[in-house]
Amino acid sequence: MTSAEISKDMPARPAAREADEGARLGLRLTLPAQLLVLFISVFPLLMQLYISLTDWSPLSGLGWPRAYELWNGFANYVDVAGDGRLWSALGRTALVMVVCVPVEFLLGLALATLFADSFPGKRVFYSILIMPMMVVPAVAGYMFYMLFQSGGPVNDILSSLLGMPVTVAWLSDPMLAMLAVMVADIWQWTPLMFLILLAGLVGVPEDQMKAATLLGASPWQKFRTIVLPRMKTIIIIALAIRVIECFKIFDTLFIMTGGGPGVATETISVYIYKITTQDLIWGYVAAIALVILLVLSVACVWAIKRMARKERAA
Amino acid sequence: MTAIRLENLVKRFGGFTALKSMDLSIGDGEFMALLGPSGCGKSTTMNMIAGMEEPSEGRILFGDRDMAGVAMGRRGVGFVFQNYAIFTHMTVRQNLDYGLRMARSPKAEIARRTAAIADLLQLGDLLDRPASGLSVNILQRVAIGRSAMMEPAIFLLDEPLSNVDAAFRAVMRTELKHIQREFRQTMVYVTHDQLEAMTMADRIAVMDHGVLQQVGTPLEVYNNPANVFVARFIGAPGMNLLAGVPVEGAEGLRIDLGALGRSAVLDAPLAAAARRAKGGVQFGFRPEQVDLVAAGAGLGMTVGFVERIGARTIVHLERDGITAKAVFDNDTRVLVGDLVHLAPHPGALRLFDAATGAALREV
Amino acid sequence: MRRSPAFEAFRYAAILLACAITLVPILWMVSMAFKPIAEWQATGADLTWFPKEPTLDNFRYIFGESGSNLIVALDRTAAKPILSSLLSASLGTLIAMAAGTSAAYGLSRFGAGGNLPLALIQLRLFPPMAVMIPVMMMWSFLNLMDTWWGLALIYGIVTLPFAFWLMKTFFDDMPREIEEAALVEGCSRGRVFWRITLPMMRAPLASAALFVFILNWSDYLIALLLTTREWVTIPVYMASLSSSMTGQLYGAKAALGLIAAVPPVFLGIMIQRHLVRGLTFGALKQ
Repeated sequence: MTSAEISKDMPARPAAREADEGARLGLRLTLPAQLLVLFISVFPLLMQLYISLTDWSPLSGLGWPRAYELWNGFANYVDVAGDGRLWSALGRTALVMVVCVPVEFLLGLALATLFADSFPGKRVFYSILIMPMMVVPAVAGYMFYMLFQSGGPVNDILSSLLGMPVTVAWLSDPMLAMLAVMVADIWQWTPLMFLILLAGLVGVPEDQMKAATLLGASPWQKFRTIVLPRMKTIIIIALAIRVIECFKIFDTLFIMTGGGPGVATETISVYIYKITTQDLIWGYVAAIALVILLVLSVACVWAIKRMARKERAA
Repeated sequence: MTAIRLENLVKRFGGFTALKSMDLSIGDGEFMALLGPSGCGKSTTMNMIAGMEEPSEGRILFGDRDMAGVAMGRRGVGFVFQNYAIFTHMTVRQNLDYGLRMARSPKAEIARRTAAIADLLQLGDLLDRPASGLSVNILQRVAIGRSAMMEPAIFLLDEPLSNVDAAFRAVMRTELKHIQREFRQTMVYVTHDQLEAMTMADRIAVMDHGVLQQVGTPLEVYNNPANVFVARFIGAPGMNLLAGVPVEGAEGLRIDLGALGRSAVLDAPLAAAARRAKGGVQFGFRPEQVDLVAAGAGLGMTVGFVERIGARTIVHLERDGITAKAVFDNDTRVLVGDLVHLAPHPGALRLFDAATGAALREV
Repeated sequence: MRRSPAFEAFRYAAILLACAITLVPILWMVSMAFKPIAEWQATGADLTWFPKEPTLDNFRYIFGESGSNLIVALDRTAAKPILSSLLSASLGTLIAMAAGTSAAYGLSRFGAGGNLPLALIQLRLFPPMAVMIPVMMMWSFLNLMDTWWGLALIYGIVTLPFAFWLMKTFFDDMPREIEEAALVEGCSRGRVFWRITLPMMRAPLASAALFVFILNWSDYLIALLLTTREWVTIPVYMASLSSSMTGQLYGAKAALGLIAAVPPVFLGIMIQRHLVRGLTFGALKQ
C-alpha cells in the first residue's frame, strides 16, 4: 500500500488532530516543571526587586509587605557600586577561578591522556580517581580542615619530605588559607575535568590518530591537529561548568575557613551569606543579588546565542 | 618503489600466536593481495609492515633496509584504513596536504603536489569541501591521495572495500586497479574477499591460522592449489575433495572412491605422484570442470538440490554421505533425485595427500 | 598503539601518585573516625596515620552515648539529621524526577516547553546564594522553614535542571518505533507513556534518580539557610558540632563525615557510566 492509500483507509487519526493532541499533551507534561520554575523565579524576583528598593531587614519590625515604609529608592544600588568588600570578594572569587580552573583542566587532561588506552588495573584506578567529586563538598571541606591543622598530616608529610619539623598554621594565614582552599577545590574537582575530558578523548577515533602518525605527525602535532579540534566543544563545556561552579564556591571553603582569617578567603557567596545572616541588611543583599543575577543572565544568554550561531554556521 | 621481504616473521600476543613464521617476497611495483579468512594473520602481517606492531621474531626488509626500530611515521608507507580514517573535521585539501604540512614543506611545493594528486584522482572540484559527508568512493580517493602525497614507496590497503555495499564494489575495484596502474607502486592489499584478490592482484598470498598457505598468481592459486585449504577456499564454490585410495590395475592407476566407484585411469605423471602418497588421497576437481557422462563411465551420484544462480546452475550431489558440487550451464537438464555420472575434465584432476593435505604434484 | 616500557612505568608512577593524593584526605577522615579521643589531636611524632586502638566510640558518641568521660554527651544526636537528610533528599529527588521526566518527555516527543530548557540552564547557572533571601521569606510565609519537606521542595527545584536534561537525552536516545507501533495499535498517548515508555526507561530513570539524589544529599548552603534546629541535615549538624563548648570533636565529626560521604561515593561508582552525561547536562555521553 502506498501512503495515500493508508490515509484513505484510516481516517480515524488525521495528522492535524494528532499534532494537536500531541501539543496539548506536551503542554500538560511540561506544566509541572514550568510551574516550579515560575515559582522559583517570578515571585522571588519580584520580592527581591521590591525589597531591594527599601531598607527593609527582618529586624525592622515590619512584615516584608510593608517594606515600602522604608523606601529608599536606588540607594542600595548606589551602595553596591561603592562596596569595597563586595569588590574584593569578587576579586577573590575571580582569583580562585583563574587559579583552580586551569590547574584542574591541565591535571585532568594529563590524567585523561594517561587513561586514553587500556592497561591493567584501569577500572580500579579510574574508580579511585573519580571519588573526590562524589564526596559531599561540606565533608570534603572538613577533611581539608583536618588536614591543614598545624599539627595535621599535611605538615607531617611536609616535615618528612623536608627533613625538618613544619608547623605552619595554614588556615590562620591569609595567603596560606587561600592556598589551602584552592588545594581543596583542585582535589575535589580535578576528577570532574578528568572524567569529562577522558570521555572526549576516547571519542577521538583511533584510526585517525594512527593515520596521522603514518603521515609523520609528531605527538604534539597530533594533539594539536586531531585531538584538540575534536575535543573543542567538550573542553568548552568542561571549562564552562567549572567556571560557573567556581563562581558559586561556598561549601568547602566555608567549612574550612568561614571566609577567614578576617576576610582573606571571603568569596561572593560567603560575603552574601554573612551579610544575610549576620548583618541582616536584606534590602541591600537583595540589590547585590539582583545585580549578580542580571549580569549572569546577560552573560548566559549571550553565550548560548553565540554558541547557537556557531553551530548554525558549522 | 621498493620491494618488501618478510623473513621468518612471527607475531605473538601473549600466549596466542597470530603469525607463525612467515616468509614472503613482494616485488617492486607488485600488487600483492593477502587473502584469508578472519583471524588468519593477514592484518597482523600488514600492521607489522606498517610499523604499528613490532614483530616477535624475524625481519622486515624494504629493499635492503631492515625496518626494525624504524617508527611507523618514518617508514615511507602509505596506509589506507578499512574505514579510510579521513580527518572529518578538515576539508579535502587539508586531508590531502596534512602530511606535508606536518613536515613543514614549502607552501609552493604543497600547492603543486596537491594540485597534481587532485588532478590524478579527480578531486579538483572537491578540494575545499568539508571531508565529512562525502560518498565512499570519494573518501577512498581522498584516503589514497592523502597517502600518495607523501610519495610513499609502499602502499598498504586494509580491506578498503569491506564497508562498501556490494553493488558499488565493482566500481571501486576498477577504480583502485586503475589508480594502482597510475602510481605503479608496490601495493599490499589485505582482504577476505577472493573476488577482490583475484581481480586486482598480481599475486595472491593465501593465509590461514597464521600460516602462509600459498603464494602465486590468481590463476596459479586457482588452478594448482598447494593444499586442501587453498583448494577449498579459492573458487566459489570451492574445489570438490573426495577421499580415495589409489588402486593399481592392469591398465594403470585408478582412485577408488568407495561408493562412487573408481576413477578413470590416471595419466602417468599424476599416477606417479599418487603412488608417493602414504595412505589415502584427496581426489580433487573444480565444480566447473566436470562433464556428465554415460552411466557406468564416471562417478555415480544423486542430485540432491539444484541451485540456479543466473548464468549458471550449481548442482549439489550426494551419495552415501559423500557430497560434491558441479556447476553447469543453465541448459543442462538435471532433476532432483536423478542419478548422474560425472567425469572431471581431462587435466582438471588434482590429488592431495590425505595425511598432510599437501598437493601431490607431478614431478 | 605501541608503548615503550618507560612510558608504562611513567604512567603507573603518575597514576599511583594521583591515587595517593586522592586517597590521603579520605583515608585520614576514615582513620580519624575510628580513633579514640586520645589520638584525635596527636601531633608531631605522636601523629598516627592509622588508629593505634581502633574504636567505634565516635559512632556511639554521635548517636547519644558518651563513649568517654572527657566529653559531655550530645543533647541532640545525629539520628535526626540523618533522617532529615534522607527524607529531604529523597522527596526532593522525587519532585525533580517527576517534573523533570514528564517535561523531558514533552520536549523530546512533542517539542513542547518553549523557553523551559533555557530557563533551566539559567537556574543551574545562578548561585543559590543570590536567590536565598526571597526563598527564605517565601518559606517562612508558607511555614516551610526548618522542615524537611520545605527543604525537599527547594531541592526538587534546584536539581530539576539535571533531572530534565538527563532524562531528555535518555528519551532522545530511545527508539521511537516501539511507541509508534503501540500508537498504531490504538493505545492512547498517555497509556503508551505509562505502559511502554516508562517501563523501558527503568534503568535510565534509576540512574538519573541516583544522580539527582547525590546532588540533593550533597547540599550544605541551602540547608544552612532554611533549617535552624529541628530538621538540620548532616552537613549542617556536623558544622555545628565544632561550635559547641566542648572544643573540636574531630573524631565525632569524622565519623559523621564518613556517614555522609559513603552513600554518594557508593552510588556514584554504581552509576559511573552516566556521570559524564549528568554532569554535562547530557551534552556529552560516555
